[in-house]
Amino acid sequence: MTAPLLKVENLRIELTTRDGVAPVIDDLSFELGAGESISFVGESGCGKSMTALGIMGLLPEKVGRVASGSINFAGEELSTATEKRMREIRGNDISMIFQEPMTSLNPVYTVGEQIAEVLRAHQNLSKAAAWASAIELLDAVRIPNAQRRVSDYPFQMSGGQRQRVMIAIALACKPKILIADEPTTALDVTIQAQIFDLLNDMKRQTGAAIIMITHDMGAVAEMAERMIVMYAGRNAEQGPVEQIIERPRHPYSKGLIACVPHIMATLTEERRELTEVAGIVPSLREFGKNRCLFASRCNMVTQKCLDKRPPEVAFEGQQMSACWHAEAV
Amino acid sequence: MSTNPLIPKDNVPIARHPAAEAWEMFRRNHAAMVALVVLSAIVLVAIFGPYIYPIDPFDMVWAPFSPPGVDGFILGTDYLGRDLLAAIIHGARVSILIGLAAALMSVFIGVTVGALAGFYRGWVEEVLMRITEFFQVLPTLLFSMVIVALFGASLPMITFAIGIVSWTAVARITRSEFLRIRELEYVTASRASGTKNSKLMFKVILPNALPPIIVQAALMVGSAILFEAGLSFLGLTDPNVVSWGQVIGSNRQYILDAGYTVTIPGIAIFVTVLAISLVGDGLNDALNPKLRQR
Amino acid sequence: MSDDPEVLLDVKDLTVRFGVKRGGLFGEPKYLYAVDDISFQIKRGKTLAIVGESGSGKTTAALAVARLVEAYKGTVDLDGTDFLTLEDEDLRQARAKMQFIFQDPYSSLNPRVRAEKIVREPLDNLESGAKEDRQQIVDKLFEAVGLHPEQQRLFPHQFSGGQRQRIGIARALATQPDLIICDEPVSALDVAVQAQILNLLRKLQTDFGLTFLFISHDLGVVQHMCDTIVVMYMGKVVEYADRLSLFNNPLHPYTVALLSAVPSVDKKRRAEMKRILIPGDPPDPLDLPKGCRFANRCPVAIERCKTEQPILNEVALGHQVACHLVDERAVSPLS
Repeated sequence: MTAPLLKVENLRIELTTRDGVAPVIDDLSFELGAGESISFVGESGCGKSMTALGIMGLLPEKVGRVASGSINFAGEELSTATEKRMREIRGNDISMIFQEPMTSLNPVYTVGEQIAEVLRAHQNLSKAAAWASAIELLDAVRIPNAQRRVSDYPFQMSGGQRQRVMIAIALACKPKILIADEPTTALDVTIQAQIFDLLNDMKRQTGAAIIMITHDMGAVAEMAERMIVMYAGRNAEQGPVEQIIERPRHPYSKGLIACVPHIMATLTEERRELTEVAGIVPSLREFGKNRCLFASRCNMVTQKCLDKRPPEVAFEGQQMSACWHAEAV
Repeated sequence: MSTNPLIPKDNVPIARHPAAEAWEMFRRNHAAMVALVVLSAIVLVAIFGPYIYPIDPFDMVWAPFSPPGVDGFILGTDYLGRDLLAAIIHGARVSILIGLAAALMSVFIGVTVGALAGFYRGWVEEVLMRITEFFQVLPTLLFSMVIVALFGASLPMITFAIGIVSWTAVARITRSEFLRIRELEYVTASRASGTKNSKLMFKVILPNALPPIIVQAALMVGSAILFEAGLSFLGLTDPNVVSWGQVIGSNRQYILDAGYTVTIPGIAIFVTVLAISLVGDGLNDALNPKLRQR
Repeated sequence: MSDDPEVLLDVKDLTVRFGVKRGGLFGEPKYLYAVDDISFQIKRGKTLAIVGESGSGKTTAALAVARLVEAYKGTVDLDGTDFLTLEDEDLRQARAKMQFIFQDPYSSLNPRVRAEKIVREPLDNLESGAKEDRQQIVDKLFEAVGLHPEQQRLFPHQFSGGQRQRIGIARALATQPDLIICDEPVSALDVAVQAQILNLLRKLQTDFGLTFLFISHDLGVVQHMCDTIVVMYMGKVVEYADRLSLFNNPLHPYTVALLSAVPSVDKKRRAEMKRILIPGDPPDPLDLPKGCRFANRCPVAIERCKTEQPILNEVALGHQVACHLVDERAVSPLS
């Protein structure tokens, strides 16, 4: 096996809050191969987006920092890279799209200008060449009549179209990794289907690896090959998507899958009560304690869970679960 | 609900009033706390000062232009030999009283106009906002001068003259808050459960619209004091009561010979208004729920 | 009035339009028909869902039923009284029978009011019973929705999203309504919390014999909660069917596409389901096409679809579709 494109090892990201320093990411390790797609799943406040920001070097200034561990991108250490180097990497080698297409575009520039801007910044294209590429990119993300729409302002476009423009900007420099942070949460489901289709298409064409952050297990099943279930800043479970959905080894992943009413192939009269995951994600004060942070919501909890943080246990086919009772789940 | 015995029952947090939390937030703002102490001291002086230091500020008690600290007069005397300290202490009453009364009047007019406009919308809003705009484009100082000149320079009239030109800002803030809050779901929810319009307006929406209005009111006390000083400086004041602006006004010819007669009341105004602004600033932070979440 | 005593809510020809200023002072006023001539019935103790994407008019329809938005025409018959013709005091009293659960638990509770008072407000408005009795009802409601009695004195911001939604539910139950309108009650909540609320709603439905009008964009949730489903697109009903017919045999091309767009964890469904991508965006609501409103995105549209608006047609028992291409054989044009 060749070296992975992105290798994150024992990453710890600390956030300074009013109540002190909390490890919002606590000992997270994962690998991402070239052209692979991986998904981060979990409820809000579990550190999914923080991981993405950590990789991008965009942690909130003065408040957040990589405390230990490494983020290795194609042989280069990103956690210690200079801001100047990170600027070169961002948008060029690693780029990101966000949840809210309404606010992530600048309202006072045309979409063409915003795409061209990225191209000129990273690839030294001439103005005319950048503009031409912008039209090509809009066409590639299936905006009809790209020639004309390139001079539209963001407000003249629908939510779905704006997200396409974001994707065009993100893919402008043919990045090796595209991070998509809840890219379709704000969009309607038929538009979500269009965006997923587009992302899969772009992935095939450019060979970019995709990190998708989501809370929707269905979307994970649709989009990713591997997934990382995160809970309270820690890796709860990680492994191939099919395998985890088929046989989750962590009560949290199991809960996340079972608590959503999924549409099955054939619907029957029968409707079972949904499995509940009681309670909510713990507050930041709880993060980093030496015990299983999911214990307070878990129905398999024993004294051991409250005494010591569970180690990651490996199962066949790279499935790894951080639970004392992984075998029994 | 979880029934596992190993899990302690959720600790129910204590019920705290939002006002208590706002106070907590306010206390963290050191500048505002210092300002609050200063302001309280000034208010105490205004209330009790004249009893503790009963010298009449209109009495000629010593030789004119006696500098501060000389001959037992802490702040010296003015061009008629009147005690400046007495003027500052007695003047505090008038300045602060006019500031408060004018601000109160502005808030009353502004909130009523803004609330009606923002709640009922339609033609009510059109008419009220045109009236507001009319008052907004008036040259404020000139307008108040005309009122005072026409109807006499009594304290109530001066208060009225200041209040009538400064309520527009409150009206606009109230209206925009009402427009925002009336669309929030809890207002719709209240409507869905059969709440009457009057209750909706004053019991549901208004309390939530108050924070920026309170901040504006606090700042307005400061500007009303300045306004009053301006009017008195121009001589448009009740000659029988002493106020800080009036002291500056009456001593203005001697600014080069006896600068302190103008500087001292000036400092009093400056300190008071600054303290009010800082308190207003602290209130703004304390009442702003977005900041509070951090 | 409906003849069927089983029917609790009978909505007929409901239309909501908003005036949109256009073309200056003397320009022709333009109207946006957010809800255009929709009809449906809900039987006692059952749940009907209105599904659709943003701009479909589903929330406006719900607000119009509850008279939180004025309808332009139509009738809303709740248990024999036309809700839309009630005035002032009658309306205030009648609201007790029809309550609303809102989407956003963060903005639907007044931040300056304690939880107990939020729940008690509908009772206070009706001035029903002594104050102690009302408090007793509040105690019971807190228990029914799974909150601690000690939490009554707290303010909304001291609760989590799920707990806030429980308060909203308790408030809706306070006046012992017959019908509760749930407007996207879980879409603002985290997935794990959604299940808690959905289970609670179903339990309360059985315990109190409630009837739900359920508004949602999430077909998984709808499938789990509802007995009958109305699919809306651009203010119109495109399909109206019971749960099994709709999910197992969707007929309107839009419904088919909508269902196929929902990502699923079910391997079998993913393998069998052909994803139908509908291109483009919905038309401008101020400039609607003459014919079928879905025609510009429909993969099987014919000339007739662009010129003639299809009407809702019962093609099978309890299954109505508004599409020129669906007839009594009840076969979707996309299959």
